[in-house]
Amino acid sequence: MNKIVKNILEVNQLHKNYGDFTALNEVSISARKGEILGLLGPNGAGKTTFISILTGLIAPTRGSASLFGLDIQKHALKVRQQVGLVPQEIVNHGFFTINQVLEFQSGYYGIRNNQKHIDYLLERLALTEHKNKLVSELSGGMRRRLLIAKALVHSPSLLLLDEPTAGVDVDLRNTLWDFVRDLNRQNVTVLLTTHYLQEAEELCDRIAVLHHGTLISLDNTQEMIKNLTDREVKIKLASSTPWPGMPAGLEIEDKTIKCRIAHGDAIGKLLTKLKIPMEQLEDITISEGNLEEAFVNLLQQHRNKPQ
Amino acid sequence: MTMMNEYTGFITLFRKECLRFLKVIGQTIFSPLISSTLYLLIFGVNLADKITSQNGVNYLMFIIPGLIAMGLINNAFQNSTSSIIISKFHGDFQDLKIAPLSTSSIVWAYALAATFRGVIIGVAVAMVGELFYWVEYDQFLPISNLFLLFLYILLGGVTFGFLGLSVAIYAKNFDQVSAVSTFILLPLIYLGGVFFSIETMAPIWKFLSQFNPLLYLINGIRYSFLGVSDFGPELTLPLSIGFMFLTYGIAWLSVKRGTYSRF
Ligand SMILES: Nc1ncnc2c1ncn2[C@@H]1O[C@H](COP(=O)(O)OP(=O)(O)OP(=O)(O)O)[C@@H](O)[C@H]1O
Ligand SMILES: [Mg+2]
Repeated sequence: MNKIVKNILEVNQLHKNYGDFTALNEVSISARKGEILGLLGPNGAGKTTFISILTGLIAPTRGSASLFGLDIQKHALKVRQQVGLVPQEIVNHGFFTINQVLEFQSGYYGIRNNQKHIDYLLERLALTEHKNKLVSELSGGMRRRLLIAKALVHSPSLLLLDEPTAGVDVDLRNTLWDFVRDLNRQNVTVLLTTHYLQEAEELCDRIAVLHHGTLISLDNTQEMIKNLTDREVKIKLASSTPWPGMPAGLEIEDKTIKCRIAHGDAIGKLLTKLKIPMEQLEDITISEGNLEEAFVNLLQQHRNKPQ
Repeated sequence: MTMMNEYTGFITLFRKECLRFLKVIGQTIFSPLISSTLYLLIFGVNLADKITSQNGVNYLMFIIPGLIAMGLINNAFQNSTSSIIISKFHGDFQDLKIAPLSTSSIVWAYALAATFRGVIIGVAVAMVGELFYWVEYDQFLPISNLFLLFLYILLGGVTFGFLGLSVAIYAKNFDQVSAVSTFILLPLIYLGGVFFSIETMAPIWKFLSQFNPLLYLINGIRYSFLGVSDFGPELTLPLSIGFMFLTYGIAWLSVKRGTYSRF
């Protein structure tokens, strides 16, 4: 990336204490315009706290954050105009219908007569037939989709998604992610948290990982997987009969050998080491590591590390 | 953030708040109206002859403006508190913090919606009072100074809209709000001259009552309605305006610093 591209999000040594408890510990993250940045971490890692500080819902204990080059506290209203938030907790609205809720939400952002855009959002989020229902008449997944529509009424240029797919069915999850990709193509920068790591892997350009409030990794998604996982090599044999020179301790199960090699290592080297006769070799499948493995390994490393 | 955006945000929130109480009109308008009507009927009509005249007017006359003031204050206060507490339960109160709404837009939107509800109650109580007066005395009670009356009503509505907003933002649950209304607001209203002139009180209570800001608002409303009261507008108007500014300051700080998170 060149220097001309401005950082949409720039967070420096952000710190949040709740009493004696440290929810965020000197976190520094930046996001480039137009990227999808995943924010991962176990329950209680500080993801929601981080996002809440960006939206101004809670004040940091210290540290600074700017969005679009503007300090979030000094230029609060200007910044908020361009940010959309899908909160983690489902929101209810008592007396009003879906359509009214979206009209009010548009109004808060200074937009009148936003019906066309509202209709578009309802359509994309499969809520059109429910637009005249009260929020209390919606199912949990529908309410979450309403939250997404609410976050988009003002066409924000930064979208903060705090577990937007929790409780949404598979079909809609996919349509939702397609929608997020579309928005991203229109230059919307996205920061998302999720516990579905496969989705994060498919979607995110980069991944930040929080653990007990500390940023323990910030990397390209593919790089992260490469650095933190092995490749699994499965070698299918014609029979289970041992061969001369077979390494001691090698297990053959169901005519198959399973080995792990680092991403940098060549397959040839492994095969040479195993000395398998060519006529025995039936098939080789290699599976690359995935984000879930990388994530688990990363946390494992951090658990073993002395604090 | 243009002025126009700001204005749209304010109007939207104001409209939403008005629609909210109009959707539950039974609780927000009719039920307080019924209790005021009962007060009028019991004290103003049935017991009027047995109660000594206050400020030199008969008792029905005396309590009509008192009950207007009480309805106004109570309902303006409750409109802000119940709306915000419910909103905190639902979780949508934080939408206001995330949206680019300025502190003063939020404060005024809530206070004016509260005033609107207070005014509806005030006008309705006045109409019921006039009706009783007409039944009793075959004529309507003339309003001494309509302009001044509306001024006091606006002041009262806005002031208690501000106060309700401040209390609800800091409240951690509904009990705290009802504690404020039962243990602070209600005694101040009752002792602030809704039902009697402070001239009838023992000296110690009379002395303490001087520190009750509601006394001046209620007397202001009574003066503009009847032309008589314990204090004239030269005292009650500046004090009521001062109190309004003070509560605005409190509300502004509450909205700026308070918590928006759900219960
Ligand atoms: N208002 C609060 N007061 C005290 N502690 C809090 C408060 N809010 C959050 N915490 C604590 O801060 C930590 C971080 O919470 P946060 O909600 O940011 O986690 P998270 O990463 O979003 O978790 P999850 O995946 O479960 O949503 C948790 O240990 C939580 O208990
Ligand atoms: Mg969270």
